[in-house]
Amino acid sequence: MKQNIFNLIMAAMVMALTANVMMAQQPHVYINPGHGGYDSDDRNMVIYPFSQGDSAGSWESKSNLRKGLALQEILQKKGYKTSISRVTNTTADDLALSTIVALCNQSGADVFYSIHSNATGTSAVTNFPMVFYRGYTGSPQVANADVLAADLEPYLYASQTTVWTNNYQIWGDWSFRPEWGTQGYGVLRGNRAVANLSEGSFHDYIPEAYRLLGLQYCWMEGWNISLGADKYFDRLDQYDLGVISGNVRDDRIKRLQENPQPFIVYGEDNLMPIHSATVRLLDQNGNEVQRTMTDTLRNGIYTFKYVVPGTYTVEVSEPSHFSQTAEVIVSANAATYQNFYLKRVRDTPPEVVDYSPVWNEGDPAVKCSEQIVLSFNWDMDSVTTCNAFRLEPQVKGSFRWEDSYYRLIFTPDDAFDVNTHYTLTLDKSAEHGGGMAMDEDFVMQFYTQPRNHLTELAVFPYEGAQVHYKTPTVELRVDSMLDTYNLFQKLRVLDSEGNELAWNKRSIKYNKKGDNYGFIRVPLTNDIEPGKTYHLILDRDIADTAGIHLPAARDISFTGVNAGAAKPGMTMFEDFDHENYYLGLYVGYASADSRFETGLLGGAIVIDYHFSRMDSETGLHYGPDWGLEDADWEKPFVLGDKLGMHVWGDMSYNDLVLMFMDHMPYTDAVAVPVCKIDFHGWRYVEMDLSNFEPGVDYFLKEISLKPGSELMGMTGTLKLDNMIRGKSSGINEVPVAGLKVKCDGDYIVASADTWVQGIELLDLNGRVIKSAGGNCLNVANVAHGIYLVRVYINGRSATQKVAIN
Amino acid sequence: MMRKRLSIMLMLVALMLPVMAQQVEVISLSRLFDEPWEPAYFPVLNQTGERLVYQTDDSGMKMYDLTNDQIATITTDKVAGNDVCWGGDGKVYFVSSEADENHLIYRTGRCFDLVTGQTVNVTEPQHGAVRAVPATRGAAMRSDAQNFKSSSNIGGAAWTEGSRVHVLVGGEERVFSPVDSWAGYLWASLSPDGKRVAFFAAGKGIVVIDLRGQMLAMLGNYEMPCWYNNDYLVAQNAKDDGHQFTSSQIVLLKADGTFKTELTKPESMTMMPTCGGGKIVFTTIDGLLHEMRINIYD
Repeated sequence: MKQNIFNLIMAAMVMALTANVMMAQQPHVYINPGHGGYDSDDRNMVIYPFSQGDSAGSWESKSNLRKGLALQEILQKKGYKTSISRVTNTTADDLALSTIVALCNQSGADVFYSIHSNATGTSAVTNFPMVFYRGYTGSPQVANADVLAADLEPYLYASQTTVWTNNYQIWGDWSFRPEWGTQGYGVLRGNRAVANLSEGSFHDYIPEAYRLLGLQYCWMEGWNISLGADKYFDRLDQYDLGVISGNVRDDRIKRLQENPQPFIVYGEDNLMPIHSATVRLLDQNGNEVQRTMTDTLRNGIYTFKYVVPGTYTVEVSEPSHFSQTAEVIVSANAATYQNFYLKRVRDTPPEVVDYSPVWNEGDPAVKCSEQIVLSFNWDMDSVTTCNAFRLEPQVKGSFRWEDSYYRLIFTPDDAFDVNTHYTLTLDKSAEHGGGMAMDEDFVMQFYTQPRNHLTELAVFPYEGAQVHYKTPTVELRVDSMLDTYNLFQKLRVLDSEGNELAWNKRSIKYNKKGDNYGFIRVPLTNDIEPGKTYHLILDRDIADTAGIHLPAARDISFTGVNAGAAKPGMTMFEDFDHENYYLGLYVGYASADSRFETGLLGGAIVIDYHFSRMDSETGLHYGPDWGLEDADWEKPFVLGDKLGMHVWGDMSYNDLVLMFMDHMPYTDAVAVPVCKIDFHGWRYVEMDLSNFEPGVDYFLKEISLKPGSELMGMTGTLKLDNMIRGKSSGINEVPVAGLKVKCDGDYIVASADTWVQGIELLDLNGRVIKSAGGNCLNVANVAHGIYLVRVYINGRSATQKVAIN
Repeated sequence: MMRKRLSIMLMLVALMLPVMAQQVEVISLSRLFDEPWEPAYFPVLNQTGERLVYQTDDSGMKMYDLTNDQIATITTDKVAGNDVCWGGDGKVYFVSSEADENHLIYRTGRCFDLVTGQTVNVTEPQHGAVRAVPATRGAAMRSDAQNFKSSSNIGGAAWTEGSRVHVLVGGEERVFSPVDSWAGYLWASLSPDGKRVAFFAAGKGIVVIDLRGQMLAMLGNYEMPCWYNNDYLVAQNAKDDGHQFTSSQIVLLKADGTFKTELTKPESMTMMPTCGGGKIVFTTIDGLLHEMRINIYD
C-alpha cells in the first residue's frame, strides 16, 4: 500500500514536472486582429449587394477578427499558448495602439501578429501579401522580427485560392514609411515581443474583398499564419493534421460585374465563383469524411479542416453544373490546394434572342458605323459561332464577346458601305458552351445610310506647314459634331524622336451644339523648336457623335519656325505699335473693332470682326485716309520690291490681300494676295511684287480681309504686326511638302502630298501668262524659256522655276 | 548642454493648451536635453522627479539626471526600457530579453543600482512574462515561475495580471476585478499616499479603486495614467486609425472623476506621461522629451 502511494506521488511529481517543462517550452503568440468596430478607423469596401456602412458587407475588422480567431483556435490545437486583443467587433474593443502593445508586453508573449489586409487606396489594383516589422528593412529593432516575417510570407503566398498579382514583400516599417521617421506602425512601437504586422492580401481588389467575406477563406489565412509560427519555432513536425482548400469556379462563364462601377479582375478571378456547391471529402473507400459548401458571397471557397494525412477524393457538385472529382494527397501540417472549374449543364439548343440593328423595309437606314450585336440564350462557343457568321456583302471586321459569351459583337474594320443592303446569316452550326448546335439558321438584314466617314474640313498644322514655335495650337475641323469623350487622346504631336508632346488640356475647346462644324482646338503646353520637324497624328477612330470616324489615320508633318526672326535687308514699313492717325479701318457689310496690344514684335493691331454676308462686296479694309499724309505709306513700290507681313491667324479661311494703286489717288487697284488665313498663331508672309508693271510706281492703298469660307469665316480676329519692305532677290521658292513640278511635253504637271487646286505660269516679271484649275497646265503654245510656276494647294501658293523646252 | 528652458519654452508654447486658468495653470514647459539628441520614449520619473529613465531606438535604456544634466546608459537592450520602474529603494528595475535557439524568449529580472553603478540579475532567465513592479520601499519581479522581492517588506504596490489588479497592502496581496475587461488590465499604480489605486481596463478606461477594491471613479478612456499627486492623475489621450497615431495629448484628471482638462493639444502628438516630484514629463511621437510644471487651484 505504501509502495502504491509512493508510486502515485512519484507519478504525480513526474507529471507536474513534465507539465512545467512543457509549459516552459510552449510558445506564446499574441494575436491582434487589426482595427475593429465598423467605425471610422475601420475599412469598409462597398461591394454589391452591400451598401456603405452595412456591417454584413466587407469590413477589414471583420475579416481580421475571423483570421485572428482561426489562428487562435489552430495554435491552441497545436499546443501554443495564445492571447488575443479582441474577440468581438465593437468600438469598445477596438483598443488603442498603445494599449495593444502594453497588453502584449504584459502577456509575456514570444511573438506578436497584428493581422490586417491591405489597400492601395488608389485606382491601382493589386493583390499580394506584405509583412512589416519595426525598424529598417534587414535591421529590425527587435531581433528576429525579420526572421518571423520571412518564415510567414511563403505560407501566405502559397495560397492557391486567391490570385496574386505580385510576389510577397517584407519591409521594415521605417524603410517602408520613411516619411514617418522612426514612428512606424503603432502596434510595433514599444512592443517587446518579436512583432509582425501582416497585410495578408489587398481588400480593395474586389474579388479578394469577396473572398475575405468568407469564413473558410479567413480560416485558411489563420492556418497559414500558424504554419509561419511553426516554422519560426521549429515545430513544423509537431502537428499531424493537414487541410485542403480550393476555389470552385465555372470553367468559362465570366464573373458578374455587379458593383456600381466595373472593377478590375486578374487571371482566374475572371471566372464566375460557384455558389452553394456541395464539396465532399471521400476516403479511399468512398466514405464521406467531411462535407462543406461554398457560400453565396461570390468567392467559391471551400476548406476541409484538420484532415488526417492520406489520399482522398474531393467531389464537387452543384445542380447547374456537372460534378467533378479530384484526388488529393494530404500531408501533416500542410495545406493542399485543389481548385475546380465546373462545366455548366446546358440542355437546350442555342438561339439568338436579341439582335441589332433591327431594320425592316421602310425603316430609316442604319448608320454605317453601326456594330452588329447578337444576344444568345446560352453562353456560346466562340469558334463555332464566329465561323458560322456570314455577312453579305462581305465585310472585314472583328468579333468581341461580352457577358460571358452571351453576347457577340461584330465591329467592321471600316464603316459599312453607303446605301447598301447587308444580310447577316448565322449558320445553325453555331454551338453553345456545352457543344449543342442551333436548330436553324438565324438571318437578319439592314440597309445603310448615305454617309460613312467624317470629312475633314481643315486641319492645322497641315502637311508641310511652318508653325510658329510658341505653344502652337492644333485644330481639326470636320463636317459633323465630334464625339468629345477622350477626343484629345486621339490626336498626338510627336517630335522627330517619337516623343509625345503634352496638350494644355485646360485650354481645350470642343464643338458644341449649334456650331457650324465639328472641331477640337488645343494648344501644346510647351514651345516647339524652330527648325525641328514634328508630326501631328490623327487617329482613325476620331468620330462624330453618331460614331462615324475618319476614313484613315493621318500623319501630318510640320516644321517649327520663329515667325519673328530678324529679316536682313528689310526695313520697316508699318510697325502697328500704336494707333496711326493717318490710318483707318473701313468695312463693307461687316462690323469690326480694332485695338492695339502686345503682338509678336512689340505692338500689333487686333481686329475683331463679323461679316454680315459673304460675297465680293464684303470685307475689312485698313489703310490711309488719303486726305492725310503718312510718309512711309506714300513711298511707292515697284516691280522687284518685296513686302513682308507678320500675320496672326485663327483658321478663318478668309483671304488677306494687299491692294495697291498705280496713281494717287483713286486709280485702278492691283491686288496682291498675302495668304489665306488657314493657320493658327503668328506667321511671316513675304510677297514678291512680281505682277507690277515695269516702270510704274505703286502705292499701298489698304490691307483687306476678304470672305473666304462661309462655314468658318463669318466671325474672327485678325492681328497684324510689323510690315517690312525690301528688294526681291528674284525668284521666291516656297517649300511645300511633296511638291513636284515638271514640264513634260506639252504640259506642266504639279503634284504634292495634298490636293492641287490650281496652277499658274508666270514670266520672270511675275506676270501671269496662263492658268488652269487642277494640277495640269497646257503650255504647248508657250515660247521656250525659263518661267515661274505658282501652284495653289489648299488656298496656299508655292512658286518654283520651270524650264519649257 | 542640456536644458535650455527659457528660449525653448517660448518655442513650445504652441504645444500647450490654454487650460482653465481658474483651476490649472501651466507654469512652464521645456524640452529636456536637446543636445545630444536622440529619440526618447517610455520616460519614467523617479519619485522625487530628479531622475528619468527612458528607452531609445538604437542605444538602449538610459538614465537622465535632472540635477546635473548627466546621461548614463543602463543597458543596450533595445526593448528593456519599454517596461521599467523605479523601486522605492531608488533603484531601477527592468527586464531584459534573450531568445533561445527555438526563438522562445527568456526574460531576466534585473536591477540597476545608482550608487554602485552596477546591474545585477535578480531572477534567472525564464520563459514567459516577467514584469517589474514598483513598491513604496522597493520593487518586485512578477512571473509565472520565479518571483522576486527586493526585501522582505517592500511596502505597498499595485500591478495587473490579465483582468485582475493586485494590491499589496501591509504584506497582504489583494486581488480585484472591479470591471469587466476581456483584453485585460494595465498600468496600475498606488497614489502617493498609498490610499488609492488607479489602473486601466482595456475597453473601459481608467478606473480608481480603494484598497478594498471598491470602485471610486471611472475617469474615461485614457491611457498610461500616473499619479500627479494624491488627487490628480496625468494620462495620455491618443487616437489612431488602426495603423498609426492620428492625435495624442496629455490630460489632467481628477481622481474622483469630477474634473479633467487638457494639458497639451491633440495635434501636439504628446504621449507617455510620467510624474514625480511635482513634475510631469512626457515625450512626443518623434521622441522629444518635455518637462511640464503646473499649478492646480482647487
